[in-house]
Amino acid sequence: MRNTRDTQLLFDLSKPGRRAARLPACDVPERPPEELLPAGAIAAAAPALPEVTEPQIVRHYVNLSTQNMSVDTHFYPLGSCTMKYNPKRNERAAAMPGFADLHPLQPAETIQGMLHVLYEMQQYLSEISGLAACSLQPAAGAHGEYAALLVAAAYFRDMGQSEQRKRVLVPDNAHGTNPASAVMAGFDTVAVKTLKNGGVDMADFYAKLDDRIAVFMITNPNTVGIFEPAMRELADAVHQRGGLVYLDGANMNAILGVTRPGDFGADMQHYNPHKTFSGPHGGGGPGAGPICVTKRLAPYLPGPVVEKELRGASCEAREDEIAPFSPLSPRNSQLHRYSLTSPPKSIGRVRSFVGNVGVLLRAYCYIRTHGPDGLRAVSENAVLNANYLLSRVKHFLPVPQGDRCMHEFVASGSRLKAERGVAAMDVAKRLLDFGYHAPTVYFPLTVPEAIMVEPTETESKETLDAFAETLFRITGEDPQLLHEAPHTTPISRPDEVQAARQPTLCCPVF
Amino acid sequence: MLKKALSDCGIRIADCGLPIAIAEFGLRIAEYPIPKLLAAIAFRNPHSETRIRNPNSAFRIPHSQIRILPSAFRIPQSLMPYLYNTPDDQREMLRAIGAESIDELFAPIPADLQLKRSLDLPPAMSELELDRHLQMLAGLNDHAAKKVCFLGGGSYDHFVPAVVDAIAGRSEFYTSYTPYQAEASQGNLQVMFEYQSLITRLTGMDVANSSLYDGASAAAEAVLMALHAHPQRRKIVAPASVHPQYRETIATYLANLDAELVTLDCPGGVIDADALAATVDGDTAAVLVQQPNFFGCVEDADRASAIAKTAGALLISVFDPISLGLLKRPGDYGASIAVAEGHTLGTPMSYGGPYLGIMACDQSLVRRMPGRIVGETRDRRGKRCFVLTLQTREQHIRREKATSNVCTNQALFAVRASVYLAQLGPQGLRETASLCLQKSRYLAGRLCENDRFSLAFAAPTFKEFVIRDAANDVDGLLRTALEAGYLAGLPLAPWYPELSDCLLIAVTEKRTKAELDGLVHALSAAPARQEALS
Amino acid sequence: MKPADLLYAKTHEWVAVADEGGAKVATVGISAFAVEALTDLVFIELPKVGARVQAEQPFCEVESVKAVSDVYAPVTGEVVEVNARLPDRLEVLSSDPYGEGWIAKIRISDESNLAKLMNYAAYQKQCAEEGA
Repeated sequence: MRNTRDTQLLFDLSKPGRRAARLPACDVPERPPEELLPAGAIAAAAPALPEVTEPQIVRHYVNLSTQNMSVDTHFYPLGSCTMKYNPKRNERAAAMPGFADLHPLQPAETIQGMLHVLYEMQQYLSEISGLAACSLQPAAGAHGEYAALLVAAAYFRDMGQSEQRKRVLVPDNAHGTNPASAVMAGFDTVAVKTLKNGGVDMADFYAKLDDRIAVFMITNPNTVGIFEPAMRELADAVHQRGGLVYLDGANMNAILGVTRPGDFGADMQHYNPHKTFSGPHGGGGPGAGPICVTKRLAPYLPGPVVEKELRGASCEAREDEIAPFSPLSPRNSQLHRYSLTSPPKSIGRVRSFVGNVGVLLRAYCYIRTHGPDGLRAVSENAVLNANYLLSRVKHFLPVPQGDRCMHEFVASGSRLKAERGVAAMDVAKRLLDFGYHAPTVYFPLTVPEAIMVEPTETESKETLDAFAETLFRITGEDPQLLHEAPHTTPISRPDEVQAARQPTLCCPVF
Repeated sequence: MLKKALSDCGIRIADCGLPIAIAEFGLRIAEYPIPKLLAAIAFRNPHSETRIRNPNSAFRIPHSQIRILPSAFRIPQSLMPYLYNTPDDQREMLRAIGAESIDELFAPIPADLQLKRSLDLPPAMSELELDRHLQMLAGLNDHAAKKVCFLGGGSYDHFVPAVVDAIAGRSEFYTSYTPYQAEASQGNLQVMFEYQSLITRLTGMDVANSSLYDGASAAAEAVLMALHAHPQRRKIVAPASVHPQYRETIATYLANLDAELVTLDCPGGVIDADALAATVDGDTAAVLVQQPNFFGCVEDADRASAIAKTAGALLISVFDPISLGLLKRPGDYGASIAVAEGHTLGTPMSYGGPYLGIMACDQSLVRRMPGRIVGETRDRRGKRCFVLTLQTREQHIRREKATSNVCTNQALFAVRASVYLAQLGPQGLRETASLCLQKSRYLAGRLCENDRFSLAFAAPTFKEFVIRDAANDVDGLLRTALEAGYLAGLPLAPWYPELSDCLLIAVTEKRTKAELDGLVHALSAAPARQEALS
Repeated sequence: MKPADLLYAKTHEWVAVADEGGAKVATVGISAFAVEALTDLVFIELPKVGARVQAEQPFCEVESVKAVSDVYAPVTGEVVEVNARLPDRLEVLSSDPYGEGWIAKIRISDESNLAKLMNYAAYQKQCAEEGA
């Protein structure tokens, strides 16, 4: 049952003297803290945390949880976010004490199983991308972009071209993280125009391409769900000018086993394992952002990376590792040893420790569950579902890019806006009333009144049909009803202007 | 030609009919079905080739020429646990789309860019097989229940109460996404608001964001904030007592920017105030202080803060959240930005990630703060509610002018940290901190009863300390301890060559007296010098 | 100030030029048309007094909930005064854009750009075209 009552703040539940945790008694001889620590370093009182009991905590948070829509409870066609089902077996695997209770600086010989998983992940991700080397360090997609751009910068520095190559070209429909990452990495960004179908405007591209190019960042399939028609030409032109091609891997869910970034000209890419490989989104994170690069960029990767040694000697990277017997059977464990190393010209680390291992473990489970054909089937069904939904929606919500898409499409509410005064946001909000999470709206900025829909492969035809029918019904509803939507959610539309004008960002201590 | 070659080998096409190949392996060579055995081999070794011999000729089939049959109905549903579409569904959907096959949907991808073989990945596993496989791999790891963990250095074996897992295991939390639609995300938004409130109370700072990736990248983001706040100043000062990985991360972040990271030696294990004062100048944008520092020592944070302030630089505090049960808060000693590794608040060590980057700052810096921020407001009916706010700082709006490229936060671990802090409360946090302090100091004292060991630094410590081995055999000590069931500590040599005879030992509230005494016994029993193993 | 007496830039800033001690000083704000188009402004980042600004280059930023817009300097010169009270009462941008809603005063160092500015009638015509 939905709990729509006013939810008190955690702090409102507090009463002096209540407590939920009991710590064990100290079993070593105790001395007063004043004897052990300098007086000037000790706090006068403990922080003003709430004083509550465990049942209060549970009821508070469980009730709050019911005020969320989530993949487990609702269809969540949030474009560009790949809100697919998050398998439970992955959750259980990541929680195994043999993985969860490992310290990141344990000696390598005590974590060979963990390093095996990570080594294989490097191999799998390299194979899926068609790129030679992989680093699992980055903590999120944007972090991966940033790390890869640092790799590019280090490479050009090594080539003696860092003064010359300062420009990063980014299509204007790219995610905002692309230009932001480029600037953080010390580059200047140059926006490249895109056409109505989402493809790069070649004239504008050539006008901006010269010997100053460092990196061309491209999302492919792009943010309107189209496979870049001129991909090969773009990559060739960039390479001819001595630049590198970066693939934003946000949309890998469309092309697993169908085509590989390395094969279509990318020199570097990141993955979003929390999207493509079903790591849950966690209400906004954690994700992970492993990156793959070509052989010549491999020496610059952020470290550490996992290396497999064969009796002390570094073994062939692509040695056959998929034999049906366990690679760590007693016979093999004498042959192999995994260790962490830093690539020879590494840019250094971009965070502490190895990477977001918990997310990578889930991705590992996902890849092992599917195998090569299964991964291709994932993309096939993701693309099938998106095209099917597009075919149902285009009759009443025009899709400027045309009749076909990859894993997602962007419909435009501009006709609805012009004819009935109904904005994309109104449609999005009204969908909530029908128990659907809203699609992404107003992105990309290049499509007016954009409604970006990504159904993913883990939804049924029945769900897609019902969603399309609801969407159709909404487009015919009374505009006033839509402006005021949603009507059935725990809250109505919030006043975002007030929130930004006089920000209240925490609950004050009284 | 191929057909002939196969039949020359005595393989009759009719014997390996198409339906079998499709159903079980879905492979063909060019347009011809291939025998089951060859398909299986090719499936496993796609880079290889198979040689087929008969008395008259030898024929090689490169596996790269074997390709997956282009068919919408290739994958047996039983293999794909998360897919819905039956062959009938697929047919119907294709008809609605007006496409012949799924392959046609991929037609926009030029044929020469399409992969003409299966990915070189291991075959699919059932859940049971996967579970068995992972249990086997997990079993190869010496986790904290197998070896008693005295390792620290930014990751600690603190206790995680069951209530944390119970709440974070609610799939309404872990299978939702960033709360763009506030009306459908009040749960997450309120939790984030409460998390920010808890962090401001914990740190004594004005505002907190709703989390970053981890402690090290949070420190690097804090440095970027300071540089933006002081565009004329280009120097960042970090004492060597700040976590080496944090300093490495900052160095990576600054590599291509017009800024310099100056490291200040700390031979005494803590900041030398005079040396700091001599290093910090009018070009210094920020000074970092880790409290307690990487060696476990308690710094004179007030003094460092005063030095930074005098020069007009910001103080960035890197703090240990658990220590704030006892130690002064960053806000108490005048930090402008406070960052921390927050995994210790309810997230297991997890081999180093994902973790929780905590960041809080002065009110004056809020518009330079990276990451998501949740604010309170009212809905149309006047009801209190929460929204993402100050979004114009962020990359999705400001693009290349954004404060940072950070997009995600670690929301689920902010949930964990919130539940953890609520569960502990002020008293519980104080007691946890106190147990860490008492037990670590007990262990340090016991170890130093042996003449072989001494504390490397005189400064008081909180839950970690550096022990010096007079016999200069840190590796031998660690090996002996491991055999006795202890992960005894971190050798400092990789980061501090001058401390190659030193070990960093961490003690959390989880360690019992028996374990502490056991470690003392194991280390004391270690032979003074082992010969190098053959 | 009356809108009809002001000069306007293509980018929707208004300018009132006055003589102050022999130097020409431009008072600058954003037009009512622009304020309305920007919808619900929530923040303004004022320029710094003493900053040198270049005509047709951004010198100040205004933010709504989900957009950031540059305000372009209509003239070249030095910022001599800013409306420091503005950030705390952004509503005056809508209620009195040509008076209390002024943003900054710029001492003009190069008058050449003044000729490019429009009078009220020309600006109204531009707004009508953009609004259509």
